[in-house]
Amino acid sequence: MRIRIERERCVGAGQCVRVAPAVFDQADDDGLVRLIEAAPQGPEAERARKAAQLCPAQVIHIEDQG
Amino acid sequence: MSAVAAAPRYPFARESPFDPPPQFARERARAPLFPVTLWNGARAWVVTRHAEARAILLDDARFSGRMAHPDFPTVTEARVTVDRNERAFVGMDNPEHDRYRRLFTREFSVRRMQALIPGMQALADDLIDDMIAAGPPADLVARLAVRYPSLVMSQLFGSPYEDHTFIIGCAVARHGLTQTPGEAETKARELAAYVRRLIDAKERAPGDDMVSRVIAEHVLTGRLSRDEFAEIGAMILRAGHDTTTNMIGMGALLILRDDALRARLAADPAQIEPAVEEFLRYVSPVQFSPRRVALEDVAIGGVTVKKGEGLFLSLPAANRDPRVFADPDTVDIGRDNSMHMTFGYGIHQCLGQMLARYELQVMFATLLRRLPGLRLAVPLEAIRFKNDMQIYGVHNLPVAW
Repeated sequence: MRIRIERERCVGAGQCVRVAPAVFDQADDDGLVRLIEAAPQGPEAERARKAAQLCPAQVIHIEDQG
Repeated sequence: MSAVAAAPRYPFARESPFDPPPQFARERARAPLFPVTLWNGARAWVVTRHAEARAILLDDARFSGRMAHPDFPTVTEARVTVDRNERAFVGMDNPEHDRYRRLFTREFSVRRMQALIPGMQALADDLIDDMIAAGPPADLVARLAVRYPSLVMSQLFGSPYEDHTFIIGCAVARHGLTQTPGEAETKARELAAYVRRLIDAKERAPGDDMVSRVIAEHVLTGRLSRDEFAEIGAMILRAGHDTTTNMIGMGALLILRDDALRARLAADPAQIEPAVEEFLRYVSPVQFSPRRVALEDVAIGGVTVKKGEGLFLSLPAANRDPRVFADPDTVDIGRDNSMHMTFGYGIHQCLGQMLARYELQVMFATLLRRLPGLRLAVPLEAIRFKNDMQIYGVHNLPVAW
């Protein structure tokens, strides 16, 4: 799994940090999404998938490899 | 033609205090949306299915959320002028929306909201101490549901706590269904003027609060004018004072009417978080937002929404859609309710949602721990539900222990 984010469209609702805090964070200066782990594995990958589904601006994109 | 003429008058009355109007389930079984007639004779659409509501809220190119749009739908005449004069980002489309919202996103970040939990805990304990000291019976709404979010907002935002009755009055004037246009607009202006004075006061004497931080970061650097901040601040105060209050009252009622649920939550506090999510889904306090207006003719689910027609994306309806939530009219804290739409969806999704979640989790956990014998002091029929408001809840909740 590879994660790509469109930070320029983020609205800072925090859903990604709520459900996948090991993968996503919010930057201190603007509260918008910051990717901590671009290639999560196992349960973290599942949490990242849930974050992508819940993101209200749909700025989290998951690309599955192989 | 006759179908158009027959479009029922909206809004509808509830038949059960815990369930949305029955028309939603009936119409949802037939189509994702159905036409209604508003107070002024305008035709609008109520979207009842989850998938279509989500899709429309993501489709900013074809559906506008600009409240000042001349065709923006309202459920009351009083709301028309209020919407036309809305200057906060809640009523803006992009790119303006993101520019303003982003000046406030860091103030509501998950980590910042988590840091408020110890303070919320102290406030919840103090209020319950006071309630215990005064002795039963007590009105849980007046004692806890109103005061607690007001105290949290006061500390976070920087508005003096003694002003909360005024602030709630302004929120009610906007969120009611019975106000005159004059009342609603006057209260909207009074609240913005109040925040404008607060900005001046905090500029002279800054504190450790949101108003002071936003002044330093965005007003004094020229990104945000004082008047713009006053309008946004009024929106934040209204949202912070009214919605959580209603969830506390309704959530407490859901716990107190169900002994098995109460025992389960008391025995395992880890269940509080999923329970709060389920209460949010089941209660869906915001009744008539979000709204949109079609910017062009759009075909959805076998019908055409015409350019200029309004849409109500009904959160209570979407949250009971059986396509997403099995047995949707049942409170089930073990279900996957992660897709609930109680905070909206799209770019306008609630900025204060983590604040609300933590406030609710702390309050319900504290109530169950401190008052294991809490019970309703009156039969259900004596509880007054907010059928007169755009944000649903209870006006009173008499309890004893």
